[in-house]
Amino acid sequence: MKYAIHVVLVAAVTVSLVAQESKMQPPTAADWAALAKLPDLTGVWEAPTVGRGGQGPAIGPPPVPQLTPAYAAKKRDLDARNFDDTDAANCLPTGMPAIMGHPYPYEFLLTPGKVTIVTEAYQQVRHIYTDGRPLPADPDPTFNGTSIGRWDRDTLVVETIGFSPLTTIARNTPHSDKMRIVERFRLTGPDTMSVETTVTDAEALAKPWTTTRTLARHRDWTIREYICEENNRNFLDAQGKAGVKLETPAKKE
Amino acid sequence: MRSIAHATGRTLLVTALLCGMAASARAHHSAAAVFDMNAEKTMTGVVKQVDWTNPHIWIWLNVPNASGQVETWGFEGMSPNFLARRGWTRSSLLPGMRIAVTFRPLHDGKAGGMFMTGKLEDGKVLTSAGAEYK
Repeated sequence: MKYAIHVVLVAAVTVSLVAQESKMQPPTAADWAALAKLPDLTGVWEAPTVGRGGQGPAIGPPPVPQLTPAYAAKKRDLDARNFDDTDAANCLPTGMPAIMGHPYPYEFLLTPGKVTIVTEAYQQVRHIYTDGRPLPADPDPTFNGTSIGRWDRDTLVVETIGFSPLTTIARNTPHSDKMRIVERFRLTGPDTMSVETTVTDAEALAKPWTTTRTLARHRDWTIREYICEENNRNFLDAQGKAGVKLETPAKKE
Repeated sequence: MRSIAHATGRTLLVTALLCGMAASARAHHSAAAVFDMNAEKTMTGVVKQVDWTNPHIWIWLNVPNASGQVETWGFEGMSPNFLARRGWTRSSLLPGMRIAVTFRPLHDGKAGGMFMTGKLEDGKVLTSAGAEYK
């Protein structure tokens, strides 16, 4: 009996070691070469805005998610309390999906089994695993969630789950732990990319919320440092009131 | 000819400001929460200090008040990241330069506002949307 348990244990440990080992195999020359056959999303991208040669952003009110009655009530309550601004004024990163809607650039990096998106605003990084692993069943909630990606012909399809309750779907619009975000990244020209984002949340949203954004590639740009706490004079206080700190600036010699 | 170019430039920069600022403000904070976006004031003074910092640059201007004393006003601009890609450098404004600043005042009336444009003595105009307009 004791011997049988031993055998089972040894077998289980061996299997898990083998599984881990296969995940940790270093990329081969063939893996690196295979990247060249994928659509080239690499480089620094930003949503074009009027006045600097872009095609123009979608001007006008952005589409608004349709909420379930329970979450519409939550939003009304938050609108009444946090009327001025969001905690981003206190330098709290916005998390997903808002982090992908900033007027700051993103750098896309493709390596074997992974797409990495460096977002300049709030100096954030998104890790998107494209090595075939499934999404974990119950990841710890985080600002940018847990992501996997796969290539659907010319489109990178990214699924993300597991979001911190400190993040929102939109302004004063909380999500449930069922929120799921699917993004479809597709080149539409030599230096343009379409990003279609669909948010589903069976508890919070009456129907899936889809928005589309166009990004332009800037071959001559690099990502800059963005330390929000460097000199943040904006704030949102506990009563939901926004303000600006105007104390005498530090002397610089 | 010059005045037409000037007018076109102004229209462009105002359009750019309206669109660019609205979007950029969302990245960090709501401009309308603290600044009166319907008001525009102009103030002339001497640059005391420029903070070329994230999440916003701050331009500190020494301005004489009605009783002849010097007051320091603070103006919030875009981020160095945004501006450096659009023609500004950290030396575009330096201490000692005399400029006329157009700004959206703070709701609470304190000595500050949101920087819109800065007209230098040589006629060059720096804007929140970029430095390419003159």
